[in-house]
Amino acid sequence: MRIYTLGIDIGSTASKCVILADGKEMVSKSLIPVGAGTSGPQRAINQVLEDCGLKKEDMSYILATGYGRNSMLELADQQMSELSCHAKGAYFLFPNVHTVIDIGGQDVKILQIDNGVMTNFVMNDKCAAGTGRFLDVMARVLEVKVEDLGALGEQSTKDVSISSTCTVFAESEVISQLAQNANKCDIINGIHRSVASRVSGLAHRVGVRDLVVMTGGVAQNKGVVKALEEELGHIIHISPLTQYNGALGAALFAFQKWENEQQEG
Amino acid sequence: MSIDALFEEFKTVSEHPRRQLLAYKEQGKKIIGVLPYYAPEELVYAAGMVPMGIWGSNQKTISLAKEYCATFYCTIAQLALEMLLDGTMDDLDGLITPTICDTLRPMSQNYRVAMEGKLKCIFLAHPQNRRPAYGIQFTMDQYNYIKRELEEIAGRSVTDEDLRNAIKVYNRSRAARRNFAVLANEHPDVVTPTRRSAVFRSSWYMLKDEHAEKLEKLNAQLEALPKCSWKGKKVVVSGIIYDNPKLLQIFEENKIAIAADDVAQESRPCLVDASEKGDPMMALAEQFANQDYDVLLYDEASAENRRGEFVVNLVKNSGAQGLVLFMQQFCDPEEMEYPSLKKALNDAGILHIKLGVDQQMRDFGQASTAIQAFADVL
Amino acid sequence: MAETEKTTAAAPEAAPVKKAPKPASPGTQALRQAVSDVYAAAWEAKKRGEPVGWSSSKFPCEIAEALGLAVVYPENQAAGIAAQHDGERLCQAAEDLGFDNDICGYARISLAYSSGVETTNESRRMPMPDFVLCCNNICNCMTKWYENIARMHNIPLVMIDIPYNNQVQVDDTYVAYIRGQFDAAIEKMEKIAGRKFDEKKFDEACAAANRTAKAWLKVCDYLQYKPAPMSGFDLFNHMADVVTARGKEQTAQAFELLATELEEHVKNGTTTAPFPEKYRVMFEGIPCWPDLRALFKPLKAHGVNVTAVVYAPAFGFVYNDMDSMIRAYCKAPNSVCIEQGVEWREDICRANKVDGILVHYNRSCKPWSGYMAEMQRRFNRDLGVPTAGFDGDQADPRNFNEAQYETRVQGLVEAMEQNIKVKEGKAQ
Repeated sequence: MRIYTLGIDIGSTASKCVILADGKEMVSKSLIPVGAGTSGPQRAINQVLEDCGLKKEDMSYILATGYGRNSMLELADQQMSELSCHAKGAYFLFPNVHTVIDIGGQDVKILQIDNGVMTNFVMNDKCAAGTGRFLDVMARVLEVKVEDLGALGEQSTKDVSISSTCTVFAESEVISQLAQNANKCDIINGIHRSVASRVSGLAHRVGVRDLVVMTGGVAQNKGVVKALEEELGHIIHISPLTQYNGALGAALFAFQKWENEQQEG
Repeated sequence: MSIDALFEEFKTVSEHPRRQLLAYKEQGKKIIGVLPYYAPEELVYAAGMVPMGIWGSNQKTISLAKEYCATFYCTIAQLALEMLLDGTMDDLDGLITPTICDTLRPMSQNYRVAMEGKLKCIFLAHPQNRRPAYGIQFTMDQYNYIKRELEEIAGRSVTDEDLRNAIKVYNRSRAARRNFAVLANEHPDVVTPTRRSAVFRSSWYMLKDEHAEKLEKLNAQLEALPKCSWKGKKVVVSGIIYDNPKLLQIFEENKIAIAADDVAQESRPCLVDASEKGDPMMALAEQFANQDYDVLLYDEASAENRRGEFVVNLVKNSGAQGLVLFMQQFCDPEEMEYPSLKKALNDAGILHIKLGVDQQMRDFGQASTAIQAFADVL
Repeated sequence: MAETEKTTAAAPEAAPVKKAPKPASPGTQALRQAVSDVYAAAWEAKKRGEPVGWSSSKFPCEIAEALGLAVVYPENQAAGIAAQHDGERLCQAAEDLGFDNDICGYARISLAYSSGVETTNESRRMPMPDFVLCCNNICNCMTKWYENIARMHNIPLVMIDIPYNNQVQVDDTYVAYIRGQFDAAIEKMEKIAGRKFDEKKFDEACAAANRTAKAWLKVCDYLQYKPAPMSGFDLFNHMADVVTARGKEQTAQAFELLATELEEHVKNGTTTAPFPEKYRVMFEGIPCWPDLRALFKPLKAHGVNVTAVVYAPAFGFVYNDMDSMIRAYCKAPNSVCIEQGVEWREDICRANKVDGILVHYNRSCKPWSGYMAEMQRRFNRDLGVPTAGFDGDQADPRNFNEAQYETRVQGLVEAMEQNIKVKEGKAQ
């Protein structure tokens, strides 16, 4: 009989779920692009169950993480911080990982992993600079879609520096550049490098060691990833499951905790 | 050499310190980086080496230094670490790290740890009770320690004669800079803020006798110029540093001349000379003891507002109409002395503005607006 | 009308009975009394027309004791004001005076108070100063802070400058310089007091300070027991005594009383900690006084007991002559080289068996946070335990965020849990 565990990651901008079988095999996943405080979490849970034909009662253990994890107290057996879950998920996907860079909707986390255990971490959760929120603001100003930023940045031919460390000031800078007829792709490239600069600064607080893995929504932006690789001088590994990393970690922890319960029981 | 050509030389040195450094290295000279404040460069000079001032950078962003520093430290200290880590300072043969403020104190440890095995860091702790005999003795003890460390790097000993000679060179250089500040005030049409800054800034990257020689030539030519009837405004500048080209340009655009400065990177270190007689180490210690009116230095008569009055007099004597205070971000000595300065300026009816600056700033829109408005008010 | 009366009559019964807070132990009460007495003595001195001084926490209190001078401590006052949630108002008042909000929160609160802004925290009211005693082994901000107070009130400032030290041992040149300042300080303070330095009173004060330091260390040492007989968080409150009243025999006795209470707990296997101890941590840095409850909440929820603080070794200095006294005053958390700082902390982490380290990046304290990142790396490497940093402020509540702190603590707890599992050889 297979043991199913459900990991729920409720972020600020998206709700993600992963169902693992026997703590090894991913049988289902879901992502709803709205996060804590919306219908997103419930819809994500419904979908992940529907997609593999299982019911809530089939789950042996449910663990919630992310910004909105405390809203799942009735459903989940336990909640854990997204720090540990991202570390766990990244280690599952990349057994040689030492540094995890997670750029989420409203914060940036750098995790130090030694032998699969998280030993240190830093977070920027004080300001929007360098986070997904920063890119959202910039995309709006430039009148492009956030998901197009990566491809557009690749077309840049000239250096345009966006140097302000504050999102509000950076927005003014971008507007000022547009007013001077700077090319949008060049500005976007500058924005990517600005994010890379902020994130690499934070990464240095913990120290950057190979294997460097990036998780979180912003990892899908090729422009940011490339800029960050250049800034850090390290290759960055990204799994296609990057957005599900936190939920995966939660499902893994769920399985571990279920196992512990069996042993103690 | 013409005035323009001389200014061009100062400009080149101030904009390309690395070229200057490499030129000295080619001459077989050793270079000692010197962090602010009040480090006894004379000792480096006396050991036959070249002291190079480190005042951050207008072109770099703090990144590698974040491995050691939280955000709330001034860029001068953080960018110094940044440049040590990113290779900019790889050609230095030593580094002197004074510890006169709450940022430089722990940073001295970060510099030392970061450069372990790579660069000799020479620690300096100035006494705050610098005037009494026991304070002078402590300064001498610290300077003697530095001298020994420098001798080791230089591979030679430093004699009293070497020291006396160095003192003469530095007195000459300080005098030339003081004189230049006066002449710049008399001829603001020729000595623009940009040019003025370059002269002071370049002094940190050149051997002081070389700088003094050029500056004396320039001063002589300035002196010979006809009287200037300046139609624009005049201000005194105060703060740690304000040498960003964009900032200097704002003054020029608004026809504001720098009548005098109370700036750490410019005139503050030029105020006091060392005695050329007697024991030279004692002379250097007494020179530090005689430094005064600085936000970083303890004032025994702190119940009075001596520094405030000093700055007020500087404004009055220079004929300036107002004062621009460049508040270096995260500089708590400067911040803590501001209310007293404000009071003195207000009591004397001197208009002033306070602008926050940071060496990572690239956009000076706000400063431009403020200075322009200030010029209208003066 | 009758309806209302009925409801009103019923209300007291309906209201839940609030649990009365456990009375503080005699030792704790004695410690609190010692601090209150310092403030009371200052008010009495002022009434008698005697000069009252404001002093840095690590200015040699023995000198003031020897001269019979009443002295109060702005740092302790600021902490108390912040803890009673009046700190933001005073910080704002200081900012209105022109003091930037980058400046240390203690200094801002104190400068506002010095300028005449009274505090709502009655227990922390103190008379305006007639002189100030400044010792910058704590920090250099002290110098500017006290210069400003001297300027505000036009009063004498006695300055004992302790230069920063780049090595673990204290050089003789430091001792000579500080000795000169001690002598000058005594002379200046004699004039202020209007009486001569009393050698006997000085020796008594030194003896009391030593006794207090030893008793303080003894109390801190009880945290080595597993589980600890007290919530280490309480040490932050007791610290006030080491800061403001260590030269008084009363304080030594209070700590000794607390030590006997802890001894009892150890014997009986009991504890004053209000939760079962699951994890042990060192809390690095000054606590966030306005947010003590918020600091404690997740610690309690996860069973995390603070069993190590650097204040233990930092204030536990003993000496037996002027030379060793001066060397002791050279060692404050912010005046020692990184090696000394790391040694203090790693020693106490090992002795008190911590599972992890919680690091407060204090926005108000540049010197303390200055080499914190490197220290954290050394903790990871040398102690093999996880660490976590959080942003906060010792006195300005605007620089602390409860949600952020909770996330960090939870992260640290999870990391400690994993680390312990690995150490115990359990499979991942």
